[in-house]
Amino acid sequence: MKCLLVANESAEVLFYWTDTEFEQQVQKQYGVSQEEGEGLPAFEDSINTLFAPIIISCSTMVDRLMDNYTSFSTENNHIYVLHQFEECLYIAVNGDGDETKEDLKRKIYVMKKLIEIMFGMVTFSGALLRKELRPRDTEQRNRLWKKLRSLLETYSRLRENDQSFLVEAVERLIHPTLCEQCIEFLERRLVQQINSNMDRAGEEVLHAFILVQTKMLAFYSSRSASSLSNSDLLALIILVQDLYPSKIDPVCFSIPDVFYTPEPSPPERESGDLQTLEVPTSDPSAPSRVFLEAKECPMMPHSMYCLSLCPGITLVLLTKIPNSHVAVSAYCFLETFVKLEKRLCEGHEGAAAMRGQPSIQEQRSKLEKFIKAWTSQLQNVWTDFKNKAFSRSGSGFTRDLLPSCRNMKTQLCGVYRQFFATECMGSSQRLAPHLQERALNMVQEKLIHWKDFLLVKSKRNITMVSYPFFFFLTLFPGLIHFIYVDRSDGRMIAPSLNVTDHTVSELGKGPLADFIKSKVWSLVATAQQYLQKGYTTVTLRDGDYFYCYFLWFENETGYKLEVIDIPSSPDDGAPVGMLTCDYYRKLLRYYSKKHQNEVLKCYELFTVHLGVIPSEYILQHCSQLARKLWEPSRIPLL
Amino acid sequence: MANCTAYVFHHISECSCFFLYDSSKVQEEGDLTRDGIYYFSPEDTPTDQQELLCGQLAGVCRCVSELSSSPVRLLCLRKSKYAVCMKDNFLWALSCAGDIPDVSVCDLLDQLIALFCFYSGPVRKSYQLYSKEELALRWARYLCYLQGGYTELHNIFSCLRTIDSTHIDPLLLLKAAVILQACQRCPLVLAGCILYRGRVVSTQMPPALTVKVMVYETQTYSQDFQVTVNGLSSSVGSPSSSTATTQVFLMPTELHMLRCPPVDRACRSHCNQPPCQPSKSHLLSHTLSDTPTTDTDSSSLDPTHYPPTSYQTVPSSPRSSLSDELCFSPSPSRVNTPIHSNLMNQSEYFTPDSHDHNTSNGTNLCAVEESLAGLNIKQDVDASSGSETKSEGLNSDQDIQSEEIKALANGYEQSNGLDNHSDLDNHIKSEENKLDANNHVTNKNAKFQGQTEEEEKTKSKQVNRKLKEKYEPTNTPSPHETLADTSLVPSVLYQHRVKGLVLALLVEPEFNTDPSAREEVHHSSLASLNGLEAHLRNTSPGTLGPPGPYTFAHYDCIQNTLTTNVCGRSVGPQDQALVKATKLVHSHFSHLDTLQEAIVRNASSAVYGTCSMAQETYFLQQGTPVRNSGSPDPQDSAFSLPRKARLRLLKHGLNLL
Repeated sequence: MKCLLVANESAEVLFYWTDTEFEQQVQKQYGVSQEEGEGLPAFEDSINTLFAPIIISCSTMVDRLMDNYTSFSTENNHIYVLHQFEECLYIAVNGDGDETKEDLKRKIYVMKKLIEIMFGMVTFSGALLRKELRPRDTEQRNRLWKKLRSLLETYSRLRENDQSFLVEAVERLIHPTLCEQCIEFLERRLVQQINSNMDRAGEEVLHAFILVQTKMLAFYSSRSASSLSNSDLLALIILVQDLYPSKIDPVCFSIPDVFYTPEPSPPERESGDLQTLEVPTSDPSAPSRVFLEAKECPMMPHSMYCLSLCPGITLVLLTKIPNSHVAVSAYCFLETFVKLEKRLCEGHEGAAAMRGQPSIQEQRSKLEKFIKAWTSQLQNVWTDFKNKAFSRSGSGFTRDLLPSCRNMKTQLCGVYRQFFATECMGSSQRLAPHLQERALNMVQEKLIHWKDFLLVKSKRNITMVSYPFFFFLTLFPGLIHFIYVDRSDGRMIAPSLNVTDHTVSELGKGPLADFIKSKVWSLVATAQQYLQKGYTTVTLRDGDYFYCYFLWFENETGYKLEVIDIPSSPDDGAPVGMLTCDYYRKLLRYYSKKHQNEVLKCYELFTVHLGVIPSEYILQHCSQLARKLWEPSRIPLL
Repeated sequence: MANCTAYVFHHISECSCFFLYDSSKVQEEGDLTRDGIYYFSPEDTPTDQQELLCGQLAGVCRCVSELSSSPVRLLCLRKSKYAVCMKDNFLWALSCAGDIPDVSVCDLLDQLIALFCFYSGPVRKSYQLYSKEELALRWARYLCYLQGGYTELHNIFSCLRTIDSTHIDPLLLLKAAVILQACQRCPLVLAGCILYRGRVVSTQMPPALTVKVMVYETQTYSQDFQVTVNGLSSSVGSPSSSTATTQVFLMPTELHMLRCPPVDRACRSHCNQPPCQPSKSHLLSHTLSDTPTTDTDSSSLDPTHYPPTSYQTVPSSPRSSLSDELCFSPSPSRVNTPIHSNLMNQSEYFTPDSHDHNTSNGTNLCAVEESLAGLNIKQDVDASSGSETKSEGLNSDQDIQSEEIKALANGYEQSNGLDNHSDLDNHIKSEENKLDANNHVTNKNAKFQGQTEEEEKTKSKQVNRKLKEKYEPTNTPSPHETLADTSLVPSVLYQHRVKGLVLALLVEPEFNTDPSAREEVHHSSLASLNGLEAHLRNTSPGTLGPPGPYTFAHYDCIQNTLTTNVCGRSVGPQDQALVKATKLVHSHFSHLDTLQEAIVRNASSAVYGTCSMAQETYFLQQGTPVRNSGSPDPQDSAFSLPRKARLRLLKHGLNLL
């Protein structure tokens, strides 16, 4: 029984997702039957009615007590988690025991991240975001909500089944030669060819990568590009997985002489390989708009092209779009007004309010130019602001300026939306279809002989018995599973744990494999809980198993740096991870205060051992394992 | 203005907050929220703010519980968290100062409600019988009592306060146990415990019940203390002894357990043996009554304990006592303990602050408690002891107070005068009679009361059925069982005080009207109580052992006791590190049954925690750990903690094997 909803302060539901159980429960409780006219709006109404008192109470608590609810739990173990982001309140509910409070909190943060990826700076304005998330046109709204729900479900599926989404780090395919070849191919041939072609409509490929299921085969970023953050990369993988879901059904490995034939795609996916996010049937070559973090602007618009090479293997191109500097300017102005608003709210006036980098005075002429060149939409609000702020008859920089200041903010977000929102994008703005097709063909050709291998490899990337890891069994008797994460570049290594797969992993299948999987999942959750409270080493003896968790820092040469006390985050802080708030980046930044001239690396190791092994041996294993794993993690991939 | 309100509330959310809210009083549009607030602590909170908090929390809890078809249990805010209990339109919410684990705050609330119900009976009825103000005093007292743990650790485990047995001659503990057994053989007596200065010396009751009984003791102790301080009582040194009884309410499961204890049940003495856990038995001391021994030994210990009269009364004693006899066969020939084994296996008790020895925990409690001290108590001259009655020495204020108390406690209080009630039947129906007697007070609620009673009946039927299904096999009652109003069974708590020493017995309601029963209990225990008191008084207050290079906390889950060398409220950084880790690991243990051991380490400290069915132990080695990187390293000193803990704690009599 699960539910997630987003509401604004006036208790209007901007988005909701429920599973069928929750829907049935609500309908049973409120007697909303399908027969009473249209089922859907009625259900939406009852969701609204059900949650309204909670939402209203939240606003009251914020207004009058400067506090807010973060969670409820009931005697039958239903959990409600609430989080307010600016003007939006997110509520996640679980009534089936599948998710913990932390899981729900994470889900909320992920939902917010996905909304940011899709709408960028528009999320800064409550009013505009409301329009985006809840379009008046029912059909449009249903389409958008369906999309968001599907993304959420994709995320939940990945989180439940994929180790890289468990620890929120990208897993790469371990095949150094092929990886290197592919990176070279992307750089020298693919990206170069596209970027020098006339039909690219002013776009420029910044990043290109090839995914096999959720695993990274090759990743290339052009030199002019800002690096793609780990958090964005994980979010993009969710988008890709949503378009081209990993097959749960196995590839047939057992007959060596027969080539793998892709199973027919699900019917709705049959429209072609070149599906895109928004309007797949009408316009297959249209890219989807994503807003990614870049040096100049934390929500830089990009176009994303997902080209399916074959089921399970996807080429992703991220391009810079023309006019993207408008986003940089708009963000810069917006930041100025946000700071101004903050200072005015704090009671600063006059010159004190205008201080700050960059000051409003410095921005003034730039803003005028910007308005002249790009948008007349801002003109009226800007004139109003100027009259109040700078003219003698106006109020000057006092609290009275606040409304104008807020108007400017909203209008800037509006300009940003006008330029970059998907629906406002010119339909011709894209890499020419033939160019896309060409790119696809090139990569297909390149990987034609590897395809089957890659699909198998993605399922059994590392196994406890395969080379070069066969020594695990001999070197580390009693070791059942491990996950090794390099947090500085957001990559992870772990033996495959495909319990949904029909193929038999070395863990076997059935209840034991499921049991180990559930133990691994709970180990990671537990370790993160302790890490959040500042503990970097945890060992647990639980039933017949022994679990270890370590987090440590090294410099570039592999010298292990001294452990420091990590501040413990408050209970309502962001969850530990990389997808949502990039906890580890903050951690590295915190640590680097002590080691300013060094390149820092941060590693994590999770292990599961049989409990009968004496703990001295277990610790020895962990130490040796960390040393062994350090080497493959240095395979050049970027 | 807004800022100002926020500031005040910031203050509230920092400290602990508790309220009881009756939503049935606030249903119409025009109803005032304040009418629904039965009790709010801190009491000096402005009414509008009380209303705001109660109104919001009650509203949101109701909404959530409707959505989930289940009452809310825990409600977290950014700055605080509330354990919540929703029952029959009532809503209790308790938040605690400091960051204590979810399980602990929920436990505290359950205990608080259980305490109230133990002394006052069903909540709805109590509020019909007494005014909000009177009951507010009780809530305040119980709240004070429960939150007055010596260290944060005590709040985390909400454990019993026990006497420091490491500094006490084990013979005294044995003696206490023997006194209890002697009393238990008297007719109408269910079970008892002996307390000294607010700490348990020996108990025959399960921990949850002992805690309840202790509150009464603390309250009478603080009253005594006040009297002594005023210098109005007879001199401190002179032998003074008094008995008192008060009506209490037991849950059916509790009563059942007391009347028909399973043979191996571990609720009979200070040193318990857990039932059905033979493998763990080495962790715990032996139960006195379980240990066969010889006649001569027992009589040599204290011959006064076994007056033949008590045996003669056995056949005439009610079923309960009879079954006790059958189950425990406490014939003198079986009452004794190999003292050596008892010594060796002695369960440890935490070391109290040294200053507490002088004042007892009674005076640790809030000031309000002193003014409350007399509520629901009647003290009487103990004829046989021949000492002066204290009330004679009371100043006029206290006379007035005790007058009020008598009036207040009317009906609930059973006079010590044995001729007051001769009709036993009267007492069997005492509950109803008392309600009738008090009806003049609550006349205006008569109609309402009628309704609720009907509701209660149906509800209690349901509850009972559920309880039968759910709790039949176990003896641990649900916290909410307490609230199933009509299911509470009136019983009587008898208390015999000899200065700092208190014998508290749970007895059948007829006890009050049975002069012979009362006399028998009195006679069988008086001399030995005096002796025990004298011995305990002369025992030097335990000094803390050398503050070893380690900090530990050992919680005995069966006896609900804590042994620790973390002392007092002012804890050092190492102690804080232990407390912080304990909170986390304890909640982890409580969520995951299979978890046995945990080591958690940050840069400055490493803590080892281990948990079994019977105990939870946390251990921290002091001193700065040697430089380490946190990467896996078998040489890391953190991993030697289990070995060190086992070794070090042996010295404290704690066996972690």
